[in-house]
Amino acid sequence: MLQETLTLLFQLLIFPGAAFLILLAFISEWVDRKVVARIQSRFGPLYTGPSGVLQPIADFLKLLSKEDITPDGVEKPIFTISPIIYFSLSLTALFLIPILSETALVNFEGDLIFLIFISTLITITVFLAGYSSASSFSIIGSIRSALQMLGYEIPLSLAFIGPALAAGTLSLSGIVKWQISHGIWTVFLQPLGFGVILICFLAELEFVPFDIPEAETEIVAGWRTEFSGRKLALLKLGRDLELLLASALTTSLYLGGAQPVSFVPPALTFLIKIFFVVFLFSLFRALFARFRIDQMISGMWKHLIPLAILQILLIILNVGR
Amino acid sequence: MEGNTLLLLLIVFTLSFLVGSLIYLIGGKISAKSKEKKSEKNIPYACGEKPPPIKEVRINLERFFIFAVYFLIFDVFAFIIAISSSAPWHLPTIYSLVVLMAVFTFLISRRHV
Repeated sequence: MLQETLTLLFQLLIFPGAAFLILLAFISEWVDRKVVARIQSRFGPLYTGPSGVLQPIADFLKLLSKEDITPDGVEKPIFTISPIIYFSLSLTALFLIPILSETALVNFEGDLIFLIFISTLITITVFLAGYSSASSFSIIGSIRSALQMLGYEIPLSLAFIGPALAAGTLSLSGIVKWQISHGIWTVFLQPLGFGVILICFLAELEFVPFDIPEAETEIVAGWRTEFSGRKLALLKLGRDLELLLASALTTSLYLGGAQPVSFVPPALTFLIKIFFVVFLFSLFRALFARFRIDQMISGMWKHLIPLAILQILLIILNVGR
Repeated sequence: MEGNTLLLLLIVFTLSFLVGSLIYLIGGKISAKSKEKKSEKNIPYACGEKPPPIKEVRINLERFFIFAVYFLIFDVFAFIIAISSSAPWHLPTIYSLVVLMAVFTFLISRRHV
C-alpha cells in the first residue's frame, strides 16, 4: 500500500508528472523560438546552455525575481488567482494524455469531453484575467479573445470528434490504442480534420495569424498588459504548457500517440512527434501575417466549420475507414 | 474503478493548483520589493494619456454570461448530435427538445438584463 502510494506520488510529481511536464514545456518553447528565429534569419536563444536551450528557464526565473505590481482599480481576487488557474488547468489536462505508454495516468471513458471543457475554460480564464485589470488595452484584449473563441470552438470540438467516431470510443487512450492496433494514423484517414485541428489550435494558442487578442502593434500586450513579476511568469509558463497540450493532443488524436516502434520506447516516439507538431506551429507562426478580428470570425464560420462538418459526414458515410 | 479515476482527477487538479501556488509563493519570497507604497507605478497603463474611468471601459458581465450560456448550450448540442449518429433515433430527439427548452427559458429570463 505504502509502496503503491509512493509510486503514484512519484508518477504525479516527478516522472510523467508535474516536473517532467514543466521541463518539456520549457523545451517546446525553446524549439518554437529557435525555429521562428532561424526562419527569420536570426539566431534566437544562443548563450544560456547548449545553443540556448536553458533560455526559457532563465526568463522564467528572471520574471519570478521581478517586482510584482498590483495596479490601482483591479479586481484583486480575480487578478491574483487567474494566473494560477491558467497554469493549473493546462497542467491538469496534460495528465490525461498518454505519454509513457498507450494508457494515460488518468483515463476514463469520456475524457475527450473533459479535455474540450478544459480548453474552453482556459479561454474563459484569459477573459477573466483581462476583465479584472483596469487598463483599457487588457479589456479590449480579453473581449477579442472571447470573440475569437466563438470562431474556433465549434470546428475544434468537431475535429476532436472525428477520431473518436472512427475509433468508437470517447477516451483518448482508447483512440491511441485503436490507432496502434490498426497500424494506421488517423491523419491518413481524416486529412481534413487534421488541417482543421491545426488551424484551431493556432487560434487557441494565439499564435501569429490569430494573435488578435495580444496584437502588440495595436493593443500593447493585450490581456496581459497589467501583469508583472510572478503573475506574468505563471502566465508565460501556462502558455508553454498550453503549447505542449495542443501538440500532445494533436499527436494523440491524429499522429498515433505513444507508439512503440521495434526497439524505440513509446515515450521517445511521442516526444519526436510532439516536437514535430511544435515545429509545424512555429512554421505557421513565421509564415503568416495577422488577420483582422472580423476576417478571422467570418473565415472560421464560412470555411472551417463546413470543412469540419464535411469530415464528420465522410466518416459517417464510411469514407476512409 | 470509475470512482477511483474521478478521485485521481480531483487529486491531479489539486496538485496542479498547489504547484502553481508554490511557484507564486516562491516568487513572492525572492522578488524585489519597492520601498514607497503610493507611487506612479500603480496607475493602469494607458500610453501617456489619462486613463478613462473604469466604469466606461468595463463590459457588463451579466449580459456576457447570458451569451456564454447560449454558446455553451449550442456547443454541447453540436457535440451530442455529432456523436449520436449510431444511437436509437429517440435519444437525439429528446436531447434536442431539452436544448429547445433551455433556449426558451433563457429567452424569457433575458428580459431582466
